[in-house]
Amino acid sequence: MLLRVWNLVLKEFIQFRRDWLMTTFILTLPVLQLVLLAQATGSRISNLRVAVLDLDHSSAGRHLVTMLDNRRELDVCYYPAALADIHRLLDQGEATLAVIIPSGFAADLADATRTPKVQLIADASNIVPASIALRAAREATRAFARETGFFGKKTVFPIELRTTVRFNPAFNHKFFTVPAQVGFIVYQVTLTLASIGLARERELGTLEQLMVMPLRRIELVIGKAVPALIIGALNFLLMMAVAIFGFGVPLRGSLSLLFGLTLLFIVVEIGYGIFISGIARTQQQAILFVFVLAMEDMAFSGYLVRVKNLPVALQTIAQIVPFHHYLTIIRGVMLKGAGLDALWSHTAAMLLMGLLVTTIAVRNLSRSLD
Amino acid sequence: MSIRRLLAITRKEFRHITRDVRTSFLVTIAPAFLLVTLSYIFAMDVDRVEIAVRDLDGTPLSRAFIASLTADGDMTVVIYVRQGEEVEPLLTRGIADLVLVIPHGFADAVLGGGPAEVHCIVDGADAIAASQTIGFLESRVDAFVAGLRYWRSGATGAILDISDRAWYNETFKSLVSMVPGMMAVLLCMPALALALALTREVETGSFENLIATPVRGTEYLLGKLLAYEASGMVSVIMTWLVATLWFRVPFRGSFPAFLLLAADYMVASMGFSLLVANFVRNQQTAMFLILMVFFVPSFFIAGLILPIADNPVARAVAYGLPTTHFITICRSVFLKGLGPVALWEPALILLGTGIASQVLSLVLFKKKLV
Repeated sequence: MLLRVWNLVLKEFIQFRRDWLMTTFILTLPVLQLVLLAQATGSRISNLRVAVLDLDHSSAGRHLVTMLDNRRELDVCYYPAALADIHRLLDQGEATLAVIIPSGFAADLADATRTPKVQLIADASNIVPASIALRAAREATRAFARETGFFGKKTVFPIELRTTVRFNPAFNHKFFTVPAQVGFIVYQVTLTLASIGLARERELGTLEQLMVMPLRRIELVIGKAVPALIIGALNFLLMMAVAIFGFGVPLRGSLSLLFGLTLLFIVVEIGYGIFISGIARTQQQAILFVFVLAMEDMAFSGYLVRVKNLPVALQTIAQIVPFHHYLTIIRGVMLKGAGLDALWSHTAAMLLMGLLVTTIAVRNLSRSLD
Repeated sequence: MSIRRLLAITRKEFRHITRDVRTSFLVTIAPAFLLVTLSYIFAMDVDRVEIAVRDLDGTPLSRAFIASLTADGDMTVVIYVRQGEEVEPLLTRGIADLVLVIPHGFADAVLGGGPAEVHCIVDGADAIAASQTIGFLESRVDAFVAGLRYWRSGATGAILDISDRAWYNETFKSLVSMVPGMMAVLLCMPALALALALTREVETGSFENLIATPVRGTEYLLGKLLAYEASGMVSVIMTWLVATLWFRVPFRGSFPAFLLLAADYMVASMGFSLLVANFVRNQQTAMFLILMVFFVPSFFIAGLILPIADNPVARAVAYGLPTTHFITICRSVFLKGLGPVALWEPALILLGTGIASQVLSLVLFKKKLV
């Protein structure tokens, strides 16, 4: 049996060699993509453009503007003359935030009985930059209030928050996205390879030839799975090297644990791939199915949005998405140095889903092959 | 060039699409279907923060402080940490997002007017969520202090009144911002289907049959383009219906203008995938390429979630992607009610790149057919 499987694997690799363009893409594009995405999403969001309408023309107002500009998230670069200009700047997407300092601002500051006002207007058509800009502006304004409070008539702010940020003190967004991206690429590559493998043989008619060979179904499946496993693992190691040495993402836990769990994850995804192979009639269908599945999985995985923030029903669905568990694992091991004791439940869930899907897939496949 | 032959190809292509329920689902309804599920998941308001509290003070005031933090239900205390217990595992295992340590003498310091130093330890692995969490906490601390000041001296709460307004998305819902953007990303699926349809013909050998017919290269490509652009427009209408009827995203622009701009996007994205399909011989490679160079970058660097990065390479890639421009268009038409005149810049870029890439692939293609 081993020999037969081995021969099948050999055949797959001959095909990979023959289709060298595809093989080159599979090995290099993921790394390139990782580099590009890390560049794009890696750094902190900075220099969101701000328009300031200062109707007060006082030194206090100018001081506030300086404090806004000093925030690295914000870049005050427009000084419109009227409210209509603010409309235009936000409409065109030139500025993310507008700050209005009303006239009488400095006078209100000096008078203990009055409360000075500041108005912020954000272009909320894109919610993430809008909320970041709003938050930075609120913080700068609060800092301004505290500062003038110390100098002037107002009392000391009675509660001082001292914040310690664990695991990623510099708020480097890269540390969060790069491990997730590594996971996502491993996911994409293995799922694509595994799901197309059989659909392709079927579409080209070579499946018939494989059928008349003395191969058992399970051997056929294993023979198709092994190359995907090898390529997935290779991709993972390449990208880990880029993540650690190229981007300085810390690896605080054990690499061998992470590698072992990655292999498990790849096997589970191959199970999903074979399942798709069984349903799809053509490669086009297989590919578009992968596409739909990949989108859903990415959404439920916690890649962008924390699973905790999903509605309860969706949180339950997320529990059966292996990619969700894998992301928790890779982030846990790399950033938090978590060991198997903290991750066992995710490992068990992944294992369970893998067994379930692979069993269904292999059964389904034997039916559709006959 | 003969219109009759061109339309014959289009008819043949439509038959391919409609013949199989699975294919027709994937090229027409799938984007709308994905929009429904994905949008819920991209509603990324951090509105549930789980905190662990270590109250070393244990006075009525410190308890009132904790109660005021959690009063509106968005913050919940999941665990009270006893004296001497480790805090670290709470973050490693993801039990709490934030640990709050209230020091001895908190009440005395607060009532004495001097600052009481409250220590907060945040899980910074997810930088964006962490900064949102800190902002959350800060605003609640501010509210507590304001209440305290009012209670003690009757002074109106705030030192400074910051009012903020979110234009275009008044309720500041991420769904309203994400649905139009997400639409733009999902509408690159018809282009993926086109690339697959082109490579399939070569791979399964039916292309040889077509060479033997009097159909010319231009007619062949334009025929295919027409079929997939038409099915793409069906997707546009489906997703638009989902966005406006299901999600009730305000649509402030004009519908014919939106269709026109969407057709513009179809031209650009189809041109992109036509160009890719020209260089590859099989569907697997085509799919892999489109996924890696078109789809995934569309998600992460085209401004859907994070603003377009400052990094020059990432910026150049983002401007080269048709999705970047269509995300701007979708959001502007839906939320800002802008028309084609105000959006001339992205619209012209799409039209220009679309026509250029289509002409280029027509030129390249003719040579191969001979």
